[in-house]
Amino acid sequence: MESAPANHEFSRREALKVGGAALALGAAGLGLAPRPAEAQTPKKGGVLRLTFQADPLHFDPHQTISFVTMVPLSFVYSRLVKVKAGPSVKPMTYPIEPDLAESWSQQNDTTYVFKLKKGVRWHPKPPVNGRELTAADVKYTYDRFLTIAGNPNKPVLEYVDKIEAPDKYTVKFTLKEPNAWFLDLLASTSTWIIAKECVEKFGDLKKVESVVGTGPWMLERWEPNVRLVYVRNPNYFVPGLPYADGVDVLIDKDPASRLATWLAGKTDFGPEYQHAVRWLDAPVARQRKPGLQTAEYTWLTSGATGFKLANPPFNDVRFRRALARATNVGEVFESLAFSQGHWTPNPIVPAAFADWSIPIDQLGPEGRKLYEFSTAEAKKLLAEAGLPNGFKVTVEAAAAVYGPDFDDFVQITLKNWKAAGIEGDLKLKEYGAYISSTIFGKFDGMFLGLRGAWADPEAYFYRWYMPGQPLNVWGVNDAKLTDMMKLQRRTADVPKRKQIIYDIQRYVADQGLFGPDGSIRILSAWDAHIKNYMPNNGFDYGGRLMAAWIDK
Amino acid sequence: MRLYVLRRLLVAVPSLLIASLIVFTLPRLIPGDVVQMMLQEKAYGKDLEDLRAKLGLNRPIPVQYIEWLAAVGHGDLGESLWTRQPVIAEMARRLPVTALLGVMALAVAILIGIPVGVVAAMRPDGLLDFVARGAAILGLSVPAFVTAILVTLLPAIWWGWTPRGRFVEFSSDPGAYLVQFLLPAVILGVASAAGIMRLTRGMLLEVLRQDYVRTAWAKGLRERIVVLKHGLKNALIPVMTVLGLQVAAIAGGAVIIEWIFGIPGMGQFLVDAIVQRDYPVIQGINLVIVTIVVVTNLTVDLVYAVLDPRIRY
Repeated sequence: MESAPANHEFSRREALKVGGAALALGAAGLGLAPRPAEAQTPKKGGVLRLTFQADPLHFDPHQTISFVTMVPLSFVYSRLVKVKAGPSVKPMTYPIEPDLAESWSQQNDTTYVFKLKKGVRWHPKPPVNGRELTAADVKYTYDRFLTIAGNPNKPVLEYVDKIEAPDKYTVKFTLKEPNAWFLDLLASTSTWIIAKECVEKFGDLKKVESVVGTGPWMLERWEPNVRLVYVRNPNYFVPGLPYADGVDVLIDKDPASRLATWLAGKTDFGPEYQHAVRWLDAPVARQRKPGLQTAEYTWLTSGATGFKLANPPFNDVRFRRALARATNVGEVFESLAFSQGHWTPNPIVPAAFADWSIPIDQLGPEGRKLYEFSTAEAKKLLAEAGLPNGFKVTVEAAAAVYGPDFDDFVQITLKNWKAAGIEGDLKLKEYGAYISSTIFGKFDGMFLGLRGAWADPEAYFYRWYMPGQPLNVWGVNDAKLTDMMKLQRRTADVPKRKQIIYDIQRYVADQGLFGPDGSIRILSAWDAHIKNYMPNNGFDYGGRLMAAWIDK
Repeated sequence: MRLYVLRRLLVAVPSLLIASLIVFTLPRLIPGDVVQMMLQEKAYGKDLEDLRAKLGLNRPIPVQYIEWLAAVGHGDLGESLWTRQPVIAEMARRLPVTALLGVMALAVAILIGIPVGVVAAMRPDGLLDFVARGAAILGLSVPAFVTAILVTLLPAIWWGWTPRGRFVEFSSDPGAYLVQFLLPAVILGVASAAGIMRLTRGMLLEVLRQDYVRTAWAKGLRERIVVLKHGLKNALIPVMTVLGLQVAAIAGGAVIIEWIFGIPGMGQFLVDAIVQRDYPVIQGINLVIVTIVVVTNLTVDLVYAVLDPRIRY
């Protein structure tokens, strides 16, 4: 997540100015129609009904990175700053706004001071019973975040040296070194402020009873594998919000059943992750749901191709380019039921980070070529790399868990590689084995997988290519790239940092370390009676639904 | 009889012990342990060891097994590594749900399979027999999950209606609680009914050709008496054996049916536990399943004596 330049926001005022025709938003890619309902007076009441694909593993945000926990918590908790939500925010941008913080200031490169809003109260539930939130709670939260064993979110704040609470409403962060992404990372959905009393009473935050926050709704009931029921927080610190009295989240793991439930009018939002509807199902949805509202934008999730630079021929840039030229991403996205041809090419920073991902046509000449599928060129590059008779390699992938669309991606990729002379011997691994071995570099030849778990653009190159990072399975140790990665982290000026990150993406593509890749342009959908809502990437369902209201 | 039951129960003890060893060991042989699953791709070396120690997974496996077995002996199946909830409490919530679904599905299988099998056997190669055999082939060929998806999705597309709804707890509405199981139970039961029907038909046809049945006909007994009293009772012995096996089959089928209909039973619980490498939960569920299968087979053996007076233990 990162702050978006103001000129990239699409405000309501601008929308009214440009009128309905411009709202086709072809260039921006938004499939939005003008919504006169936005001018209506918001109505309070009603229950927002949605489906969710999985049951929470548990409720401790410091013990998982998984969306199955973070999404349910997004209705309940608050953090110091958050990603702005609502119809004025263009999907794929992530502007920051205050949440529990009233204001903040940066005293020097490594010191940030936050002033908290006064009078914020915890949910009126035991063991916290509605007491006022103070700076001590914030300090307690982040001390736990950084010291508890097994917190997989630790990289989000691991560069923080200390957190202090000089008075009841002031929190001071001192970083070990400058990090220009600090505010964006602080807006991650793993940084919820938790209550000390809950940890002390329950030992950890895994039990449902321990879910006590300061957010817009309170978790009233969890029926495992059935539903999550939320009710309005009567003491929520934003006056007038939330509009809906409650949220009913139906847990349904079967995609056909989720679609049926939505088509039958039992839920208000599209059935897939981020309220998407598969493109294959979009026509029947539009037919059954008059006035259906939709937004088309690029998903974060995309593919990952892994190899080790230490192993020939992967150390030869010509071979890496041959591999890229033999990959036909377009064919993959044309064939999937989810995308049906709706996709965007990704450089190393996914296109879903609209403000940071470099357009493919701005890559260098060698980098651009990677995205032009050509079996003949791939064969030519292979010959130049000394492999005129092709190359055989073992390719590992996770079996079944990512679904049929991923399986199709693997099969189509291997088919096209084979046509160019790169014969991949597919070795399917059970998911647990895959994530515990392959992604940590325990593979012989190559792997095909997915990426998209991180909510900040830096993670996509820093964790893969910075020497010493556990996920740098490629074994990248390139002085120029390392310098650029360090420099962008120290560069607070957003336009300058953007240029450095563009250069990183150009360099990575030029070296054939990444590409070609793509992400689905998903179609998020919500019923005609849901007003003042706009989807976006990320786990913060609660933040985006807080200002939505029901026109019934 | 009492001695037989005692002997069978004694045999069950080593069976359960061997099963416990298998259910304890096998999940640990799958690559990727629960700690790696918890930390996923963001694991840092030190964290792995810390968390492993915190969960008690760094001790030798034989030690862990003996401790677990001792706890089981005291009725304690441990607690989930993910949720820290007692396994027994988690199962107590889900077992009745799956048990009810299984019992209803078995009832559907029996109520359809046996009568249709009898009718088909009474008029072999007739129209009814032809229709019944055709339906049985269809029932065996179409997997229950396909039927379930079609039944869920097609009415939603055509008429904007779906049988899938929010799961209703027994305490909030007992009637609705039972009704919500009807459709999944019918879908699950039909597949089993097809097998039972075919077996009942085949066995009854064989029995009806026996000399004692011919004697019964010769005595002028009514068809109902000959078929149901003299024929069916003997034909049902192998069917009973199959019914015992159907318990395991229905338990397996319940996993996907629970998934599609959103029924919070043991099936979903077990799948989640395996994916998450939640060892105590996997062990607990499997131990309960093994116990149910052992008890079911013992019951089936005892029912033989009721069905066939010649069998004495």
